[in-house]
Amino acid sequence: MAKSGAGGLRLSEAGFAWLLVLPVVVAIGLVVAVPLVYSLWLSFTDVNLLRAGGPALEAFGVRLPLYRWVGLKNYLQTFDDPLYWSSLWRTLYFVGAFVAEATLAGLGMALVLNERFAGRPLMRSLLLIPWSLSRIVVGLLWIGLLDFEFGALNGILHRLGLIDSYVAFFKDGFTSLNVLVSVYMWNQAPFATLLFLAGMQSIGEDLYAAAEVDGAGYWQRFTHVTLPALRPILFLVLVLCTVNGFLMLDLIYILTMGGPGYDTTTISWLGFQTTFKFFKFGPGSAILYTLTALCLLLTLVYHRLVLRGFEAEA
Amino acid sequence: MAIAAARRGGGRRRSGGSRLLLYGLVALVVLWLVGPFVWLFITSVSYQRNLMARPLSLIPPEVTLENYRMVLGLVRFHAEGQAAKILPSMWNTTVVAAVVTAVNLVLGTTAGYAYARFRFPLRTVSLFALLFTRMLPTIVLIPAFFVIFRALGLQNTLTGLVVAYCSFTLPFTVWIMKAYFETVPGDLDKSALVDGCNRLQAYYKVVLPVSGPGLVAGGAFTFMLCWNEFVVAQVLNTKPGTTTLPPVIAGMNGQINIDYSVIAASGFLGALPAVLLVLIFQKYMVQGLTAGSVKG
Repeated sequence: MAKSGAGGLRLSEAGFAWLLVLPVVVAIGLVVAVPLVYSLWLSFTDVNLLRAGGPALEAFGVRLPLYRWVGLKNYLQTFDDPLYWSSLWRTLYFVGAFVAEATLAGLGMALVLNERFAGRPLMRSLLLIPWSLSRIVVGLLWIGLLDFEFGALNGILHRLGLIDSYVAFFKDGFTSLNVLVSVYMWNQAPFATLLFLAGMQSIGEDLYAAAEVDGAGYWQRFTHVTLPALRPILFLVLVLCTVNGFLMLDLIYILTMGGPGYDTTTISWLGFQTTFKFFKFGPGSAILYTLTALCLLLTLVYHRLVLRGFEAEA
Repeated sequence: MAIAAARRGGGRRRSGGSRLLLYGLVALVVLWLVGPFVWLFITSVSYQRNLMARPLSLIPPEVTLENYRMVLGLVRFHAEGQAAKILPSMWNTTVVAAVVTAVNLVLGTTAGYAYARFRFPLRTVSLFALLFTRMLPTIVLIPAFFVIFRALGLQNTLTGLVVAYCSFTLPFTVWIMKAYFETVPGDLDKSALVDGCNRLQAYYKVVLPVSGPGLVAGGAFTFMLCWNEFVVAQVLNTKPGTTTLPPVIAGMNGQINIDYSVIAASGFLGALPAVLLVLIFQKYMVQGLTAGSVKG
C-alpha cells in the first residue's frame, strides 16, 4: 500500500468517491428508505397488529406482515374526516404564527447581539441554551412559568398588580395554541439568530460606511443595507421554520395533549394519536404521509434556494 | 467583533442614551434566553409549598436538595417507583447517544468528505435524496419501525433506538461534514497524493487529523439530538427500563401525585449534559451548523 497507491487501491476518482459514500447510502437505504416505503404500504392497508396470519414478506427467517390491501380507503377516510381539515387549518395557523414569531424574534435578537457591548462573546453561549434543551424540558420549564397554581408568571404579574386573578393559560383553546407557538419560538428562534448573525457578519464594512456618509440613520441602514444582504438567509430561516412548524409534536405532548378538546390538534399530532394511541396504523400512516408530501414540496423550495441561490451568491 | 466595532462609525462613541437603550435590550434578551432555565433550577431546589405561596417570592425562602435526593433514589417517598427510573434511563440515553454518535462520525464523515471533494455519477441525485431525508418528518417512519422492529425482535431494545436514531442523524452529519470539508483546502490532499499516499491514506492520515473542529461539531450535534429525542423512544420502547430520559420525564409530568419541584429536578438533571456539551463546544457547533445550513 506504500508507494503511489499503485499496489493497493487503483480506483478512478469516481469509484473511490462511491466507495466512501456507499456505507451511508446503504445505511440510509435501510433506516430511511425501507421504513419510508413500508409506511407508504401500510397507509394502503388494513393493519391489524394482533393478526399473525395473512400475506407477508419472508426473508432470512424474518416475517414482515403485509396486511390486507384496501387501496385508497385510508386516504378517502382521512379526507372525509372534518377533524382532519380542522387540524390542517390549525396547523397552517400554527406554522404561520410560528414562522412569523421565530423570524422576527430571531432577527430582533440578532440585531441586538450584532452591536458592540461588554460581554458580547458570552451571549453566543447563552443563545444556545434554549435551543439545546429537549422539548420535553422546554415544555416542563414553561409549565413552571405558566401553570395556573404554581406558575411564576402568574405570581409575577399578580405581584406587579397587573392581574387580579390568575390566568389559566391552557384553559382556552386558542390561547393554548398561541402559547404553543410562543414556547416553540423560545426554543427555535435562537437558531435563526445564529444564522442571521452569520449573515450580518459577512456584510462588508464599506457598505455601512458609504451609507453613513450618505447620512443614513439606523433604520435606513437596516432597510437599505442589512436587510437586502440578509435576503438569502431570511428565506432559509423561513423554510426551516416552516418545516419545523409542520413537524412539531413533542411540545404538544407535554403541554396540551392536543386539547382542550381538539383545539391544539395539528396534523402531526392527529397522525401520532391515530397511529399510536388508537393503533389505527393504516389511517395514521395515511395522515402522516400527507404531511410528508408537504415536506417534500418544501424540500424542493429549499433545494432551489440553497443549492442554486447560494452558489450564485457565493 | 472588530468588524462590529468599526461598523459603528470607526470607533465613534455612542451617545449615553443609545448606550442605555442597547444595554437595556441586551438585558432583555439575556432575561428571555436564560430566565426560564434559571427558574427551572430555582424550582428544583425549592419546596413545592413555596412555589404555591402567594405573593410569590422569586428568591426562594428555603433552599433544599430534597428534590434531587428523591430523583436520585436517596430518600424514600410516595412516588419513588417513578423517580427510580431516572438514573437507569439516563444510562440508556447515554449508551444510545454515544453509539449513534460513533456510527455517525465514522459513516457520515467519510461520505461528507467524498461529497466535498469529488464529482461522481449520481452525486447530485444522492445529495438531493439526502436533503429530502433531512427535511423528512421522522414520525412518518415510526409506524414502519414499529412493525419491522416487532418482526425483528428489536422492540424495547437499545439497538432498535440506535437504528431509528440514525435515520434522522446521518443526513445531518453528512451535510455538516460536507460543509466542513469544503473549508479544508484541497491542496492538502493533493500534496499528500504527491508525497506517495493513496487516496484513502490522504483522507485518514492527512485530512482527518486536521478536521477536529468539524468532527466536534458533527459529533456534539448528533449527541445532542439523540439525548433530547422523545417521540421515537416513547413509541418504540414502552417496556419499563428500556426507554430513555425524555419519555420518563414526560411520564412523571403526567402523574398528579408528584410535585412539580421533583419533576423540575429531574428535568434540570436531564438537561444539564446536553447544555454543558453545547456550551463547551459552542464555537465549533456554531461554525459547523451555520456553514451546514447556509452553504448547503
